[in-house]
Amino acid sequence: MQIKINNKIYKAKEGEVVLDVCKREGIRIPTLCGFEGLPREAVCRLCLVEIENAGTGLKPVRTNLQPSCVLKVKEGLEIITESEDINKARRINLELLWADHAGKCATCKKNQMCELQKLAEEYKIENFHFIPRKGEITGIEELDLIRDNWSRVVVENENPCISRNSELCIECKRCVNICPEKKFGFNHRGSDIVVGTPYEKVLDCSFCGKCVEVCPTGALTDKNDYKKIIEDLDSLKKFSIAFLDVEMEKKILDKIEKISAEKNIDKILANLGFEKIIRLKEENLEDEMIKNIKTEYAKQKKINSNDIVVFFISSKIYKKAKKDKYLDYILSEREVARLIRDKEKMREGKIHL
Amino acid sequence: MKKIKIITEHWGKIDPLKIEDYLEVGGYKALEEFILGMDRAGALGEIKKSGLCGRGGAGFPTGEKFEIVASQIGKKYFICNLDESEPGTYKDRMICDKNPHLLLEGIIISALIVGADKAYIYINGNYQKQKEILEVALLQAKKKKFWGNKILESDYSLKIEIYSGAGAYICGEETALINSIEGNRGEPKLRPPYPTGCGLFGRPTAINNAETISNIPWIILNGGEKYSKIGSKNSPGTKLFLLNGAVEKPGIYEAPTGITVRKLIDEYAGGIKKGKEFWFAQIGGACGKLLLEKELKAKMEFGKACQCPLGSGSILVIDKSVNIYDLLISWTDFFRRESCGKCVPCREGTFRLWEIAKRFKDGKISERDKEAIQDILWTLERTTFCPLGKFAGTAFRDAITKNILTF
Repeated sequence: MQIKINNKIYKAKEGEVVLDVCKREGIRIPTLCGFEGLPREAVCRLCLVEIENAGTGLKPVRTNLQPSCVLKVKEGLEIITESEDINKARRINLELLWADHAGKCATCKKNQMCELQKLAEEYKIENFHFIPRKGEITGIEELDLIRDNWSRVVVENENPCISRNSELCIECKRCVNICPEKKFGFNHRGSDIVVGTPYEKVLDCSFCGKCVEVCPTGALTDKNDYKKIIEDLDSLKKFSIAFLDVEMEKKILDKIEKISAEKNIDKILANLGFEKIIRLKEENLEDEMIKNIKTEYAKQKKINSNDIVVFFISSKIYKKAKKDKYLDYILSEREVARLIRDKEKMREGKIHL
Repeated sequence: MKKIKIITEHWGKIDPLKIEDYLEVGGYKALEEFILGMDRAGALGEIKKSGLCGRGGAGFPTGEKFEIVASQIGKKYFICNLDESEPGTYKDRMICDKNPHLLLEGIIISALIVGADKAYIYINGNYQKQKEILEVALLQAKKKKFWGNKILESDYSLKIEIYSGAGAYICGEETALINSIEGNRGEPKLRPPYPTGCGLFGRPTAINNAETISNIPWIILNGGEKYSKIGSKNSPGTKLFLLNGAVEKPGIYEAPTGITVRKLIDEYAGGIKKGKEFWFAQIGGACGKLLLEKELKAKMEFGKACQCPLGSGSILVIDKSVNIYDLLISWTDFFRRESCGKCVPCREGTFRLWEIAKRFKDGKISERDKEAIQDILWTLERTTFCPLGKFAGTAFRDAITKNILTF
């Protein structure tokens, strides 16, 4: 069937939604709650479009703004993706969301890799209208208003693999929907809503890491001692070895696409301070090989095994839960990207560790 | 002229805990009539003819809703929406308190008309006493074979279950109500598909307000034609009105639709309370519009052409001694608490309005707040997921446009 987007005719398939058609045709529509393969929740209210003619054949009627992520295509549908009203709605909703977010970008693990931050930059959002609800309390008179909301913030670092910080959460429901074990859900309601575990218990799951992968902000991140990692990598005394899991190369390059122009993974890792890189050719071979490093390899090369730092770069973050003495760190592609980001910034002289 | 009473006729005259009292005044006659003398199509025709429309606030034609569900095959459900939580509204509670069997009779007939074999009564979690009354009524009616297997020895069968919610306002919204019965979080689902096609457990479901259902027995007994002649032409029948605030006799009154607000205040509620000066009236609960003195001639009816949406039927009369800022906080705090928190504009917008309302009271309103109010009201009206957010700012907006609130 044919539909009209911004007065141009496009082909669409029965059952498709407008957002998917626009994505395919390269028409930009911002969205935060939508994610490939997950149910369309239509809760962020950013992907709004206007219907020019509801496919009735009648004269064009301006109807309400509709979320394009759930708007099914119909023969003769005419929509507009940019207008004064659409921009206004997106800007207000984004501003409301931004004020609900802690806004600690400078120190955030997801800085430069955050979807909310990108949209806020695109729409030039500032905390002009609203006092931030979380974090960064400035005036004493604002304390009272903010205090009501502190109960909302759930910070949990007790599980071995995932750092949770609801300060940064924008309640997009991606983690709720993607979790194969249904570990997350909404607690409380209205403005007190918190994405959390039942009864706010410590997260206990198989740690597949899917929720961390889909989280648009820094609310769910990989847990690690970054300070120590950077120390170990930069230390001249320590010999850092990285095991690169199958398919990790592509995953890392995808992540750093916008941060670094470098495409050679060996160079990138060497730049981070890794002395040796071992690529795994097949799945599930790592355990034996890793064990080998601190024992036989160390003996063979006459290095003190205490001076060897073994990294396993892999998406299998559940291994963090059962790390043994032969392995020091497990880094996901997101964490490697973060290290690269910080390196880039240091080179530009923007931050000093 | 005798005032026509359909729902309140036997109120106060019968004991709600005794089915015999209700039978004595002609109770369950409509059910007998339906089972012995009518078929489903005939009864549906009468309801369509009556022009009865939903009394929960939206005013959707009941006959049309029944027809959509009745025309589908397979397992179907009927739900009586008794999750009344609009501030100042207690009509459904009074129906349970005064004449629960009327409601029950209506539920049984309606469920049979749409072809459901299971009916739920979704009751507000705070209505403990009403739940107990309904449980007693259900037991009594079952003994008399008014529901259960083979109703009155006919081929009709129906199971009825009371499902108690947890007192959330949002669960009065039909898709949130369905989520709640299904065991999910009480938050609205995306529409379409509408419950009439894909409702409870994915099956066609008719969800009707308790007051709407209470009209059904009368329509079956007296005919749809007669019902359609009562009250306003567009939304005929009677309606329970709740007059609260600065009136002489606050309470619940049954009046034909199309009546003006002024008439309701003066003739039914005994006028404005002595010594008080009328300021404005709020129609239909916390999400309702505000009417100034000159607008009291507005007719109370449903439909797109109505002058003022009737909502749940509550009329709150505010006099000049009321502190508008307290009222503002009360409205905004209600929606901040009761929003489900699913979509951004409602979750954040209602919170911000409440925050600003508090600053209003403290006299600390700033220029940026004034701008923010306009922005929030704008986005609430246009971009929220469900009607709760859409109407959350109505009273606030009216207070500004009608110069009740000056800044």
